Amino acid sequence: MIEVSNLGKRYGSLEAVRGVNFSINPGEVVGLLGPNGAGKTTIMKILTCYMFPSFGTATINDLDIFDKPLEIKRLVGYLPENAPLYTDLNVMEYLSFMAESRSLKGKQKNERIEWAIEECGLKAVVYRSIDTISKGFRQRTGLAQAILHDPEILIFDEPTTGLDPNQIIEIRELIKRLGREKTVILSTHILQEVEATCGRVLILNEGKIVAKGTPEEINREMKGEVLLEVLLKGAGKPGGLKGVPGVRELLQSSSPGKDLHKLQVALLPDSGAEEAVFDWAVDRGYKILAMVPKRLSLEELFIKLTREGGEKL
Amino acid sequence: MKNILPILKKELKSYFNSPIAYILVVTFLVFSSIWIFYLQTFFAGNIASLRNFFSVIPIVFIIVMPALTMRSWAEEKKLGTMEVLMTLPFRESSLVIGKFLAALTLLVIMIALTLPLPLLLSRFGDFDWGEIFGQYIGVVLLGAAGISVGLFVSSLVANQISSFLISLFVLLVLTLISQVNLVLAIPPWAAEAVNFVSLGHHFSNFQRGLIDTRDLLYYGIVSALFLYLNTKTLVFRKW
Repeated sequence: MIEVSNLGKRYGSLEAVRGVNFSINPGEVVGLLGPNGAGKTTIMKILTCYMFPSFGTATINDLDIFDKPLEIKRLVGYLPENAPLYTDLNVMEYLSFMAESRSLKGKQKNERIEWAIEECGLKAVVYRSIDTISKGFRQRTGLAQAILHDPEILIFDEPTTGLDPNQIIEIRELIKRLGREKTVILSTHILQEVEATCGRVLILNEGKIVAKGTPEEINREMKGEVLLEVLLKGAGKPGGLKGVPGVRELLQSSSPGKDLHKLQVALLPDSGAEEAVFDWAVDRGYKILAMVPKRLSLEELFIKLTREGGEKL
Repeated sequence: MKNILPILKKELKSYFNSPIAYILVVTFLVFSSIWIFYLQTFFAGNIASLRNFFSVIPIVFIIVMPALTMRSWAEEKKLGTMEVLMTLPFRESSLVIGKFLAALTLLVIMIALTLPLPLLLSRFGDFDWGEIFGQYIGVVLLGAAGISVGLFVSSLVANQISSFLISLFVLLVLTLISQVNLVLAIPPWAAEAVNFVSLGHHFSNFQRGLIDTRDLLYYGIVSALFLYLNTKTLVFRKW
């Protein structure tokens, strides 16, 4: 059980986190989603007792971050952003150091290291110096280190940055597997990542939670604004689109070529407006060359959420 | 105490996996041999004593100690491993002591490699082994104080080069400050005070093989003070 109340962090005059509240139940996989500088990393650094908050507090299993940092550090496995590692050690030496730091000894230590190596697919590089292995292997070494002591709570800061698509899928699978038994918090700025792995999402912007809910709820939130891109061919400037039922707004219109018209239309959700737009085009003698429904990108969602302000859902 | 062991082992591995430790040890040994045989012309002096050899140690350590400690914290910060280290279940003091003991171990190895010098030379003359014992104790204590200063400086700065240069400057001042008494006529109490804080001055008794509790205490206090300050910088960093 992780409980965060009115948490805030100032770096000089910059307020990175401004009064964040949330709680996470055991066994949940929660994604912190937000653009760079939203405060995701800062929140993770506070939860792992790397730094103190400027105000507010947090407890993990009823242990306070100010009073019981050592106990909390034992409970938590942490993968910091960019997976920092000791480049002058080899993978085995590094994992061995981490295991000993976690008070693992003898047979148990060897078993745990072997398990982590297996789980993270590190077999090929076990005795290679860390400064000679690829970004993907480094990231996985970082993950192996975090799960080594079988912690109750895992905190991953952007676990899939810098990985190729295959590796991303593998890491997501691993996180999902871990999430069956453990509490996982991960941060990302990729929406698909959250959909693929998380049971619940907190969307952060400028140090505040601007939305929270399950990925489905967030998706529905996003569907409040369906975009349709239409490419038409026909003489004359298309008009009268505003009157079509279900069309909320004509956002953009341009002519990329002779008799071509490119329109961007905002639709009301679940209004069947796509069909109405089709009929409208046929009625006016336009040929539809393309009709592409577009999801709002994360950035656009952010702009929307921050413009409206406040907590939603 | 058992918490310190993983840090100590890791630090030693880092030292010996990189060329720095070897370069440092070899340079030290080559320089000290050149110093005693060529510059101090040991055999021409015809005295079975290593006092001249040990007289240069404080000066050499002004360079060796910053080189030995410059990586310790600065490198952790540069690599970002500080974040890994500080989220492991260690007390700040365990981390500091672990790094201190690792550097001290390397120092002891380096010093121990000069032992063949008196052992081989003892064939040609009658050395006072009590004196040599005192001298070696002094070197280790002087080194321990230098290491604590270097570690502390390394914890304050963000890169190795500034760590090296700043520790070099601090040790230079701390070691040679007693020399002002030779060139300036300052009041006796000020001269006393200057001597008291000088790393070099407290070594002069050890150089003659004398173990004085005041000197022991002095080096103990300097080491403890800077290790304490180092621990505090780690704690303050969390704010």
